[in-house]
Order: sequence, then C-alpha cells, then structure tokens
Amino acid sequence: MLKDELIANNPLGVFKKAANGNDAPPRMGLVISRPGLGKTAILVQIALDNMLHDRQVMHISVGQNIGKTKSWYDDIMADIATGASQEEIMAVKDEISRNRMIMTFNAATFNRPKLEERLNDLIQQDIFKPVCLVIDGLDFAKIDRRLLEDMRDMQRASKLSIWFSAVIHRETPGEIADLDLFDTVLSLDPDDQGDGKIFLNTIKDSTGCVEEGKIMRLDPTSMVVWG
Amino acid sequence: MKRDLEKVRNIGISAHIDSGKTTLTERILFYTDKIHAIHEVRGKDGVGATMDSMELEKERGITIQSAATYCNWDGYDVNIIDTPGHVDFTIEVERALRVLDGAVLILCSVGGVQSQSITVNRQMTRYKVPRIVFINKCDRTGANPDRVTGQIREKLKLNAVPMQIPIGLEGDLVGVVDLVKMRAIYYEGDNGEIIREDDIPVELQAQADEKREELLDAASMFSDDLMESILDGGDVPTDLIMSAVRRGTLALEMVPVFIGSAYKNKGVQALLDSVISYLPAPKEIENIALDLNNNEEEKVLSNDPDAPLVCLAFKLEDGRYGQLTYVRTYQGTLQKGDVIINNRTGKKVKIGRLVRMHSNEMEEIDVAGPGDIVALFGVDCASGDTFTSADICMSMSSMHVPAPVISLAIKPVDNKTSDNMSKALNRFTKEDPTFRTFVDHETGDTIVSGMGELHLEVYIERMKREYDAEVVAGAPQVAYRETITKKAEFNYTHKKQTGGSGQFGRVGGYMEPLEEGEYEFVDKIVGGVIPREFISSCDKGFTASLNKGALAGFPVTGVRCVINDGASHSVDSSDVAFQLAAKGAFKEGYFKAGPVLMEPIMKVVVEGPTEFQGGIMGSINQRRGMIIGTLEEGDYTVIESEVPLSEMFGYSTVLRSLTQGKAEFTMEFARYNPVPKGIVDDVIAEIKKRRDKK
Ligand SMILES: Nc1nc2c(ncn2[C@@H]2O[C@H](COP(=O)(O)OP(=O)(O)O)[C@@H](O)[C@H]2O)c(=O)[nH]1
Repeated sequence: MLKDELIANNPLGVFKKAANGNDAPPRMGLVISRPGLGKTAILVQIALDNMLHDRQVMHISVGQNIGKTKSWYDDIMADIATGASQEEIMAVKDEISRNRMIMTFNAATFNRPKLEERLNDLIQQDIFKPVCLVIDGLDFAKIDRRLLEDMRDMQRASKLSIWFSAVIHRETPGEIADLDLFDTVLSLDPDDQGDGKIFLNTIKDSTGCVEEGKIMRLDPTSMVVWG
Repeated sequence: MKRDLEKVRNIGISAHIDSGKTTLTERILFYTDKIHAIHEVRGKDGVGATMDSMELEKERGITIQSAATYCNWDGYDVNIIDTPGHVDFTIEVERALRVLDGAVLILCSVGGVQSQSITVNRQMTRYKVPRIVFINKCDRTGANPDRVTGQIREKLKLNAVPMQIPIGLEGDLVGVVDLVKMRAIYYEGDNGEIIREDDIPVELQAQADEKREELLDAASMFSDDLMESILDGGDVPTDLIMSAVRRGTLALEMVPVFIGSAYKNKGVQALLDSVISYLPAPKEIENIALDLNNNEEEKVLSNDPDAPLVCLAFKLEDGRYGQLTYVRTYQGTLQKGDVIINNRTGKKVKIGRLVRMHSNEMEEIDVAGPGDIVALFGVDCASGDTFTSADICMSMSSMHVPAPVISLAIKPVDNKTSDNMSKALNRFTKEDPTFRTFVDHETGDTIVSGMGELHLEVYIERMKREYDAEVVAGAPQVAYRETITKKAEFNYTHKKQTGGSGQFGRVGGYMEPLEEGEYEFVDKIVGGVIPREFISSCDKGFTASLNKGALAGFPVTGVRCVINDGASHSVDSSDVAFQLAAKGAFKEGYFKAGPVLMEPIMKVVVEGPTEFQGGIMGSINQRRGMIIGTLEEGDYTVIESEVPLSEMFGYSTVLRSLTQGKAEFTMEFARYNPVPKGIVDDVIAEIKKRRDKK
C-alpha cells in the first residue's frame, strides 16, 4: 500500500527510534540553513511522517498563509509518491489530511500563552490532539531567548515534539546562540563544489537516535530527503 | 473604420449587497449622458435603476444576471458588466469575470470589507482581474475610509493605496483631494455634475502631503523613472505617477483606492476617469482558449480583428426585446450576415441583427471587433458557448461545471401553470448549467437542483414573476450521489415467455470506476452476438439505471459500462428486451462493484473576532467538519474548513448566537466525498424515512 511505502521510504524516520531500540522521546528540534535551501520542506517531511502514522501535527506558520502552507504538503506528497497513481495519492491525502491543522500567525502575535490557549482549546473540545508541532518562519534574529525557553518548558510539560526552523546568514551555526535549548539540530548545507547538491547534516542529537555528524542528501529540486 | 482598441474598457462593478452598486451604476450612466434622470434604487417615483432590469432583482436589491451596458466616457467605449455578488451564483460570477478586463470593487465606508467582498475578491484574484476600489457612502455617519483601507490590506491582502482624501466626511462631504494632481475637487449642482477645481484647503494640506508621500512611495515601486524624479526633488510629473500606478494595478500588485458617495453625487466622475486611467484595455489582458482540434491545448488569443473569430456567449436574456444573446469577442470580427459555428453543438449560425445595449435603448451596429461586447438576436445557444469562424474549433471554457449540491421538489399550483413552468425551466437550464431539472418518475415530482438554497429560491421567484408560474416547493435536500469503487462483471439474461411473442436478450461485460466524467459506454461486442441495432438499447438501459442508484436512490456517476458478450434471439429480441437486460446487468454488477454514497463537501470560511475562535472551531467540529487552518491577525481570525453540506443547514443561526452576530461565513462547493462508513447506514435510513413520509 502506498501509505506503508511512504512510511518506509522516509529517511527522516530515523528520528523515531533511539539506537537502543526504544521509542525516541519527544524533542525540541531545529532545522537551520541559509535562506531558500528548503527548511520548510524538511519540516513538512517530518510532519508527513507523523501524519502517515496517524499522529496529529499542528503546522504553525509565521508569516505564510494557509493556502501556501497547504501547497507545500501537496507538492512534497506528489514528489515522494512518484510512480503512484493520482487516485492513490488522493486517497492517502484524504486520509491523512485530517491529521494536520495549519495555524498561521503574523510575527508580532506569536507567543507561548496564545499558542497554549489555542492548543488547550482544541484538546479540551476534542477537536485536535497534536503530538508534534512544527513551527516555521519564526525569525530567530528578532525573538529573544525567553520565548524559546518558554517553548521548551511547554515542550517538556506537554510531551509534544516541537520542530523549529531558523534562517542563518553565515556558514556557521554559531550565529544561533540558543542551540543548547534544542535536543536535535539539523543543518542544510549546499555542497562546496557548487554543483547544486544539498546535504542535511546532523549537528546535534541528544536523544540517541542519530550519530552526530550523520549526513543525509536532498534532491535539490524537490527538496525531498533521499537518505 | 478601424477601432482604437486602446479606447475600450470592459469593467465589472462588484460589491457586497447594499454597498451601492446599483446606485453607482445608475450615476455612471447618468454622467455618461445616457439617462437623464436619476432614480433612487428603491425610489418613491417607482422607477427603478436601469441596470436591474429584472423585477425580482429590484425587489431583493440584488443583481443576479450579468447584463452588459454600454456607455461612453471621454471618447472611450465602456462596457459595464454586472457581476453578481452572491456565492450561490458562482458560475455566473466566473463567467462575468472572463468577460471583463478590470473591475471596480465597491466597499461601504461604514461596513468595510464584508464576506461577499472577500469571496468575490478571491475569485478576481483567481482570474487575475486588475481592480480599483471605490469606498462609497462616505456621506454616512461613521464613515471611515482609512479604516476600510486598512481592512483591504488585512482582509483582502491587497496593496491598497489611497488616491484621494475626502473633503469633509459624513454629512459634510463636499469633494475630494486628488493626490496625483494635488488639487481639491468639488462636486456641485443638483446632481454633482458641476466639477470645480480649487486649491487644497489649508486644514487638509498636511494630511494631503503625507498621503501623497505614501502614494509616491507605493507607485515608485513600479517605475524607475518615477523613482528618479522623486529623488531629484522638485515637481513630479503627473503622468509619471499615473503610468506607474497603472503598471502596478495591471500587474495586480497595487490597488488604487478612490472615495465618494454615489448617492450624494460625489466622486463618481473621478472614478470614471480612473477606470480609463488605471484599468486595462482589452489588449492588455491575455485571454486563453482551448483548441478543440488539438487536445484542448491552450492558445493565447490575439486581439487581431483579422484573425479567425473567437467569441463567447456569456449571457442569454429573454426580455423586452425578444431573445438576446450577449457575446464578447476576443479576436477576429463579428459581422452582420456572417456564418459562425457554435463549437459545443457544431451548429452553424447566421448572424442577423447585431446590437449594442445602452442602458435604455439599443443601437444597431454592423461589426464588432476584438474586445467588443454586443448582443445578437435569435441565436439558439446556451450561456457559456463559444462561437468561432468555420476554419477553427476553439472553446473559451473547459471551465468545469460544478455539480449541483442541493435539490428540491416543485409542484405547479394548477394545470395552466404546468406549461409555464416547463417553459421557465427550459430557459433557466440553458442560461445556467449549474441549475438542473428532472422528473422523479416514482413520485412524479419535478426536481430542481443547484448550488445553494438561495440559488434555487431565486429561480422559483423568477418563475412566478417572469413566467406567471407559481409553484409549491418542498424542503431542500442534499444532492447525494452514488458511485462505484471497483470493477465488477455482469452477465444477465432477460427472458420472458408469456403468450404471443417473448422477450429475450443477454448482456455480458463489466463496469468500472470512471476517473473523470459521469458515464461512459463502451461497445466491445465482436461477432455480432448482440446485433448492431440493439447496442444503443443497452446504452439506454444503463443510462436509465444511472438515474436511481440501488444503494439509496440517488443518481449514479463515475461509471464506465463495457459490454463484450451477449446473446440474442431472432424473434424474441427487441429494443425493449435489451434495455431490460442492460438494466438487469447493471443491477447485478452494481452491488459487486462496491457502491458508495457520496455527499457534497463545502469549503466553509468563517471570519470573526479571535475571542470566538474556540467556539467556532467547536461548531465546525460538531458538524463533521475538518479544520484546514486558521489565520490570526490581531484580534481577528479566519478559519478555513471543509464541512459536509448536510450539516450546514441552519448554520448561520448557530454562528450568530455563538458569536453575538460578530462572525460571518462563506461557503462554496469543494467536491464530493464518500459518506463515512460509520454513519452511512443512518444517513440512508433517514433519507428513506423522509421519502416514505411523502
Ligand atoms: N448614504 C448613502 N447611501 C447610499 C449610497 N449609495 C447607495 N446608498 C443607499 O444604499 C442602499 C443600497 O444601495 P444599492 O445601490 O441598491 O446597493 P446594491 O445592493 O449594492 O446594488 C440604497 O438605499 C441606496 O440609496 C451613498 O453613497 N451614500
């Protein structure tokens, strides 16, 4: 079945199981890169992996609208399901789209109390129970450490996984001062040879799923991780 | 005479109900010197505005049909295409949007951006229609054009740039400051027809300077020359500003905002000037047709009067002048006496009279070129048909027709009415492909179906008014459908031997899901096991079976029936025998083919204050809805969702009480989905119960 295939083929699935075979604990994750390399695509692939497992994901987009965010999912789905018939793709999409809710904020209005209020609202009314949040588009240069600490407290208390994306402008991840708040940090790096290849580099993982330094490859046009 | 295509504007005027579309249109026609008295929309003198020629529209104050009215302003031919504002008339809105090149979006200075404006704006964006905004009713208490401009940016996501500021607001409104010319413009005389230009009043100078600065900032994004001129300091030439604004507007990256009061005759002439200055001429817009000889390949039309003709019949009107067909020409020339082809039916049509519709008279003309909008007499066609010259075969619209989602039974009150009712139905179904009708053979009821409750209500009213056909309507029902999910074989023999000649026919083959379309019949019979003359009988038998699915009695769609085997009898086989055999075969295959019940799913967008977000989401969730996403801006939230239509009856009342009337929603058809397994039995039982009651 297409769904099982998609689950099996997702290289980002490595973050599900620790080396000792236990299920990985929920984490604070971060994907960093220079602009335009495909951070959103990585977050979407992480989200899709959850959705395919029937786990609900809240996609929080700061600054991008619902339609655009939704089309990221449609595009990535089409790319990872190459070879499947349109009908099959539609069927899987129908099935898993219930596992996703998109919440968009503009930068100024995003904060922990508001997010928590929304989440509690959804959970209490039994509308939506995410196990994973992906938060895309937060400007790390403008937010202060307090917000990230807040988010980490919330993550620890709620046992959700939260994945962020952040833009860096220089080659070095040192630009982001708050790496210590994250369990896992991935960085997207263009190939030095300048031949358009992009790598996904595991800079840090304290959950024991992936060895630090593990490198995965990305298809530079679809931004899908190959493995 | 060669027409100057630069000097044509085809525009739509679009608005939320009651924003003043009718009033503004009336004023425009007055100033363009075509009507000589201004009537109020619901005026005491009993004479209605000219555009709303239909009685019903007048009564409801909404404009349903997209009539086109010609007028002339400053040497320019202006065609005003009336765009219906309600979502229930989506097909008409979309057709109107194909015909117009630019639009004026009217907003009320007090009400601001309301739900219909959001929907129409979305459609305009989809069809890439450049637009300008007119903030009307600036004479009303509470008028606040600045606030409305803010809403245009926030809610419509448009780069709104004020081109004017008001001189006096509310009751004191006397004119506007033109921020391009930096002059004050006053509208005087009984009907605002006397325009007086003056210096900007001192007390407004500072505000005008500030707003002018903003305008220049915004416009300079679209013109390096303007940017340079601003940097150089000194006077910035007016035409540089105007051409930059025009460029931004045509690129859909900027929306100039004008203000005024249609009712108090303020600012209408300036708006007309702006239509000329900032909205596109036909040749500035790319129009695409599908080449039917070439796999529906997209072709850009040329605007060349000497190219082969392509024109679109976008509206039929059965009115005071007899039967009129409104067409827009995209390329080539339409000439009296020409023979053109209707590409849907393949029929040839000879053009008799060609007229241009003014607001209250018509003008006979001989030719119509690219970009022209004219009416033809006595042409038999349906709305949306494309006509071309004989050497090409193109269609403007593969524009797919959405399936009706709601239906109700209608009964004429007496026999005399029955005739009129069929006449009306015949007309309406031609005008509007989303409006359909059929007779339910079991109950004998006539069923009409369409895109929403209001859609059907309007047609029922029109039957009464225009055709004197009063009908009793049943309660609206969701238009469920049935379809199959897998391939299944059939092999059915129909045999009857009673007295005289018998009946015999055997039909073998299979049915399978059809990805696109409603029904397909494939004949794979070899060796004449079913004689030629009875092949179409099989087709008829299947088609008849489609009307009422065996699952719950709803129409079956998305089925391909293939026959590849059969048998006949030299005496006992007949048309009827094979029809019955095919019906039997269909029934046999149907239950093996995994039939499912499908329900219409609507895209529902709710907007309101953020404090109600939780409650609104709860209400959607309770209705089997799926929340796609939320958008939060300040204390204002938009919630996008998909909800089955069957759950949406009465939602406006629920939403109102949930949010103290502060939230609004829009709804449009998204697609058909299978009814979830868990509830399908309940739904079917409910439907059957309702049927039995009747
Ligand atoms: N105060 C004020 N009332 C207006 C203005 N324009 C229209 N109206 C009134 O608003 C109501 C609705 O106008 P109408 O033109 O029928 O709106 P439509 O539904 O958009 O066609 C009518 O009573 C008009 O007289 C205006 O500029 N100022």
